[in-house]
Amino acid sequence: MQSAKNDIPVGTAAGSDYKEGFVTQVEQDFVPKGLSEEIIRTISARKGEPQWLLDFRLDAFRRWQKMTPPTWGHLELPEIDFQEIIYYAAPKRDEDRPTEIDPALMETFDKLGIPLHEREVLAGVKPKSNVAVDAVFDSVSVATTFRKTLSEKGIIFCSFSEAVREHPDLVRRYLASVVPAGDNFYAALNSAVFSDGSFCYIPKGVKCPMDLSSYFRINASGTGQFERTLIIADEASSLSYMEGCTAPMRDEHQLHAAVVEIIVEKDADVRYSTVQNWYPGDAQGRGGILNLVTKRGICRGEGSHLSWTQVETGSAITWKYPSTILKGDNSSSEFYSVAMTGHYQQADTGTKMIHLGRNTRSRIISKGISSGHSQNSYRGLVHIGAGAEGARNYSQCDSLLIGSDCGAHTFPVIRSANPAATVEHEATTSKISEQQLFYCNQRGIPPEDAVALIVGGYAREVLQRLPMEFAVEAQKLLSLSLEGAIG
Amino acid sequence: MLPGEALRLTFVKLPGLSVPVETEVLLAQCGCEADVAGLYLCEGDDRFSLKLNLRHEAGECRSRQLFKGMASGNARALFDGRVYVAHGAQKTVALQENHSLLLDAAASVESRPQLEIYADDVECSHGATVGSLDAQQQFYMQSRGIPREEALRLQKISFLSPVLERLPESLVNEVVSRL
Repeated sequence: MQSAKNDIPVGTAAGSDYKEGFVTQVEQDFVPKGLSEEIIRTISARKGEPQWLLDFRLDAFRRWQKMTPPTWGHLELPEIDFQEIIYYAAPKRDEDRPTEIDPALMETFDKLGIPLHEREVLAGVKPKSNVAVDAVFDSVSVATTFRKTLSEKGIIFCSFSEAVREHPDLVRRYLASVVPAGDNFYAALNSAVFSDGSFCYIPKGVKCPMDLSSYFRINASGTGQFERTLIIADEASSLSYMEGCTAPMRDEHQLHAAVVEIIVEKDADVRYSTVQNWYPGDAQGRGGILNLVTKRGICRGEGSHLSWTQVETGSAITWKYPSTILKGDNSSSEFYSVAMTGHYQQADTGTKMIHLGRNTRSRIISKGISSGHSQNSYRGLVHIGAGAEGARNYSQCDSLLIGSDCGAHTFPVIRSANPAATVEHEATTSKISEQQLFYCNQRGIPPEDAVALIVGGYAREVLQRLPMEFAVEAQKLLSLSLEGAIG
Repeated sequence: MLPGEALRLTFVKLPGLSVPVETEVLLAQCGCEADVAGLYLCEGDDRFSLKLNLRHEAGECRSRQLFKGMASGNARALFDGRVYVAHGAQKTVALQENHSLLLDAAASVESRPQLEIYADDVECSHGATVGSLDAQQQFYMQSRGIPREEALRLQKISFLSPVLERLPESLVNEVVSRL
């Protein structure tokens, strides 16, 4: 990896195992740190937002003030001082040439392997990639690629701020329809201060010709990232959406509180994939991102389908439960997850499947891998409402332990109020068996490779659900995170 | 419990009783075994909850839990079972199962099987299911001349039988007569 002179590696004892840990020196535009109505008004004014959105923010803020942070997670959360955070940081725009991206920024995304130069991609200079990207740098979206190709099909894919300006009716109709402003502490905070994010609308009957992707990066120090993603798949449309994230190495904790809302109408199909690689903190557990995220989708129409796939390797703390409300009859949803923790990382993640419609189906496959001193929990809810005739769920949650100081936990809740529904859950916890290791060693595979091989096989069921480009990246990430975990 | 000791415990909850039950089993010495099972029958307006905390504080212990529940009428049943394996409790083998039958539209069940594990050389697993009586089995029996009511009873008995086997005959008779 080439290093540019304007990238300063930060973090002290972290070592070099987090290759995305550099900082980019870009001129930044900040609002003062702290949170108050005034700050919210400033953010809203700076973004030139309409009155209804400001009212929405202020309403969320007032709700948030009355709320307390949830404590039910199996996590040791450091106390977060919400007045010490900068809620808005934007790379300074060059007013004269608003269409060009700051070269330093471009370089950052290049370095991360995110293709923003669509011209080069099309001309074959860069390896061909068939992905449209919306890149979010700190608080704002800096670039969205392939917009023209997409708009020919009527697909809207742009930053959230742009959607507010250009498609206010759509945003207003769907915003907070799945995750209400007062849903939980962190969602309320996000609703009050969210800065940017991605917006996507797929019209009736359109199959999105390429994968869409959001890429999030936290760069500035002392800031939090509060992005909001809104995806609407209208009747009989289909979409594959990917999300990736990284941050510099720092000794302080940084807060990431995002909200993702997905609306899936009749017969539409949405696949949402995440590879989460926020900075996890150093080997002593200092620093790292606090990833406190609310993701929820609703299968509103009959026969709609939503699939979540996540690979979680980063963050000091992950608190995340991508959920689906299965409202339409015959709708279905899946959740595939690999959560990997090492050092002092903590993850409390899982899903909620709320079955309301008839013959709704859901499937949960969760694979946890913990090593070092980390704690890895699966927490899930399968709810079968009284009207969910013939609903069906199957859940499987496996945990793998590497080393004697880590923990793996499973906390599922199954609630059924319909006798014509069937729910099955199973979970196992174990370590890599001596026999498997011996078998590999005996055939000349060194211990580290053997562990990587076994873990790869263990996570395969989830990884193969990822879009191809992502799967390669995820596989690399897993083996990277495994380095030094054994021995 | 002391080294090498074994515990065999069976709960029975008959219909018409609304109680919360809370139990803790502690495996504090190496080489202990705990085998805990139970059945709960809930009818009418029964409200039943069973909370079981099974703690493996020492290594080389084995535990097994098997709970079967049925809910009909407006009854509500909750199973909240935890297997806790302490740091250093290596070579633990723990198994936990909870199966529920939901027999009426107004009844509901909740199951919270939990594993909390702080040691790596362990084999722990749990399973939970919620469903209703199988229609094909029902059809099979009725097509062979077994009346519907009797067939339903047989299905319930077979569902409960892994726990019933552990009980003295007089208690088995009582449970079966209440189905």
